[in-house]
Amino acid sequence: MQAQGLSRELVGTPPVILVSDVSLKIDPGSFVAIVGPSGCGKSSLLYLLGLLDRPTEGSVLFEGQDMNPLDGDERAQIRLASFGFVFQFHFLLPEFTALENVMLPMRRLGRLSQAQAQEKAQSLLIDVGLAKKMDKTPNRMSGGERQRVAIARAIANDPVLILCDEPTGNLDSQNSARVVEMFRTLAHDQDRAVVCVTHDADVAAAADVQISMLDGRISETDIRKQ
Amino acid sequence: MSGQLRLLASVAARHLAGRRRQTLVAVSGVAVGVGFFLAVSAMMIGSQNDFIKTLIDAAPHIIISDELRSPPPQPGVRFYKGAAIALRHYKVRNEVRGLKGWPEILRTVNALPGAVGSPNLTGAITLRSGGREEALTIVGVDPAVEEKVSSIADKLRTGRLRDLESTQGGIIIGEEMAQRLGLAMGDVVGATSASGNSRSLRIVGLFKRGQTQLSSALGYVLLREAQSLLGRPFIINRIGVHLSDPYGAQPISRRLEARFAYKAQSWQERSADLLSLLVTRNVIMYSVVSAILLVASFGIYTVVSNSVSDKRRDIAIMRSIGFSESDLQLIFIFEGLALALVGILAGWLLGYGLLAILGSLHFPIGGDNQRLPLDRSARQYAIAAAASLFSGVIAAWLPARKAARVDPVDILRGAV
Repeated sequence: MQAQGLSRELVGTPPVILVSDVSLKIDPGSFVAIVGPSGCGKSSLLYLLGLLDRPTEGSVLFEGQDMNPLDGDERAQIRLASFGFVFQFHFLLPEFTALENVMLPMRRLGRLSQAQAQEKAQSLLIDVGLAKKMDKTPNRMSGGERQRVAIARAIANDPVLILCDEPTGNLDSQNSARVVEMFRTLAHDQDRAVVCVTHDADVAAAADVQISMLDGRISETDIRKQ
Repeated sequence: MSGQLRLLASVAARHLAGRRRQTLVAVSGVAVGVGFFLAVSAMMIGSQNDFIKTLIDAAPHIIISDELRSPPPQPGVRFYKGAAIALRHYKVRNEVRGLKGWPEILRTVNALPGAVGSPNLTGAITLRSGGREEALTIVGVDPAVEEKVSSIADKLRTGRLRDLESTQGGIIIGEEMAQRLGLAMGDVVGATSASGNSRSLRIVGLFKRGQTQLSSALGYVLLREAQSLLGRPFIINRIGVHLSDPYGAQPISRRLEARFAYKAQSWQERSADLLSLLVTRNVIMYSVVSAILLVASFGIYTVVSNSVSDKRRDIAIMRSIGFSESDLQLIFIFEGLALALVGILAGWLLGYGLLAILGSLHFPIGGDNQRLPLDRSARQYAIAAAASLFSGVIAAWLPARKAARVDPVDILRGAV
């Protein structure tokens, strides 16, 4: 995953600059944290990298391919098959149980049969320690549990890139530590790339690469070898 | 692919399950629309069919008469084809009226599949009884054939058409005419024709009063009797044709007319004014009941529209997971489709029930106990379903488009 000269402006008078001329490279197996003050453009950068938004200038390259010419459906297909998202507010579908929420991306992708998808969702939920909560709907779970369901759902289709927006923002320190540990495992043991936008110093400290942003630009890149 | 449609449908089902009351209101809206569509259209179409049946049965489906729609061309014009000939003030030869070569015409008619032709002679006579006189148009018929061609036999209060054959000089007249002349069954009445022939006729049958299609100034006698009374032996001036399929009368009448030149009038031609009235009636009915169905679909619009605005967060997360815009649009169209389908099924039941109630009602009209003529054909059920489904999908599609256009970034940014 590469970004070249990414810029994003909101049309208006004067135009609001969210991200300005950002270039970066994310390797498989790395855990990248993007930090910076509120409104510095880190979430906007994440949406651009996650193909949820289109840049005003510059381009995102994924597996060497320029993402700009792709239409909405093609970008949706890439998100489905190769990306996983985790947000601050969990965003589980409230009418579905934990198990069904995790099965959702697999059923949409359609590579696994219903039975296989169910089996895989069960094992993912067991991995995140929710063996007993599979048939509960989100409103009967705690915040930490919901976030773990969201992570299980994000990795359901074996994505190569996991994008997180303040994943620990709503969690206590114990749950936060657990989530951070999961991300490290995903990056280092399963060779996926994890990009995390965060305010949380603990999350930032656990990352291999820390990118600091200010006013839409990258102000500092701190690479720490593990 | 079908697995994915099932997935989208299951999301739609969960959405609806989460808003039971609104769903119930929308479904009952469609159900009431469909139910009353069925009830109203069954009555309208039923009464229309009843009316058309009366029109069709009033007289033979095609009447071939000894009239010409345009005068025959003059020999000079026929001889010099395309020449500049103008003939004026010529005298037309006084021809003996009647269908010339009628046995040939009758054979042709009877050779048509499902067709029966009945030769008639009509003419004017005067009935006299006890100093009172009434003008009457008599129709000379062959009872055995006429029974197959017209419904006159069903309209008799007393007597049978066949009695004309068994009684010498028998005549059937209307109840009103009999009352005016002070006559009853079995009475003898004097009859004089325009040609001066005069004889006594015995009343062997009376047809019911209040028949629009049977004038009270009409009487039936045997064909031979009419020919002799009117002084026109072996002549007929009318052939009534009965068809197994009355709706095919028009092309057949045109063919007969083209072949024999005599005027052949189908029942549609005779009742063109009434038929055009029915068209207007149908336009009115369908616009009213379509309005009912349309209003029913407003309920669907409300449910789907509310669902879209309530589920903006879910839409955003599903888009981020990798559901496409058309996936989201389909989910909400499925919601509308489900509401419409359940509504249609309930509406069918309601309509079936309403028809059962309407069908059980009795109305005493003219001494006869009559029921509402109802059309219970599956076609009406299909039309109601198709119209509701169509308006339901449109009603869902409008808000569903909005769901597809939700920008996930706006929602995610707002939530964080």
